[in-house]
Amino acid sequence: MSASQFDPIPMLSSEPPPAPAAAPSAAAPDGESNPIRAAIVEAIEEHKVILFMKGTPDAPACGFSARTVGMLQELEVPFAAVDILPDPRVRQELSALSNWPTIPQLFVDGELIGGCDIVTEMYESGELAQALL
Amino acid sequence: VPGRPRAILYARGIVPSAVEIKQRIEAAIPGAEADVQDTGGGDHFSATVTAGTFAGLSRIEQHRLVYDALGADVGAAIHALALKTQTPAAIQTP
Repeated sequence: MSASQFDPIPMLSSEPPPAPAAAPSAAAPDGESNPIRAAIVEAIEEHKVILFMKGTPDAPACGFSARTVGMLQELEVPFAAVDILPDPRVRQELSALSNWPTIPQLFVDGELIGGCDIVTEMYESGELAQALL
Repeated sequence: VPGRPRAILYARGIVPSAVEIKQRIEAAIPGAEADVQDTGGGDHFSATVTAGTFAGLSRIEQHRLVYDALGADVGAAIHALALKTQTPAAIQTP
């Protein structure tokens, strides 16, 4: 968690769920009454480039997340990163919000760019560098 | 599910096979042709989906159509699905 580019989002980082979340319990359907959803929205709005991933940029916990981090680092763009693993509710809310089932998810300027496959295609075609300007 | 023989996963009906994934994609997206490979572990797959209906859609929208075809299994029983989408016209260009 100490990478200079890794910008922990207080609401979303590393704190395990307060209650024993054996089954991700019924989350409130919408934003206002849902602090996790609200924190995700806020994080996306506040960071030009933000990656929701498994693990951290220093210690990715999945090959797809690792590759996505690698491409961002290759382009030398600063980005915020959120580890979705510690609290299962983050992933649940993120996917509900973005209508995207898999992790990682890269957002630029508040918009979902895609997961590892799309980011890879865009990296290879040069579109990613353009999008990150 | 690491370490669990895929035969058991299939027998329990937990993980769809590559063939089943292909059929579900092609059934859901008119005119689509899906090439689906099991890339290991019985729950990691890669798919290349070619469909005329993708024309004019962003990559995000194209991928969403495929994810929608597979429903809640993506990210769950189908642990990973490396996905490439294209239109028939795009095949000639590398």
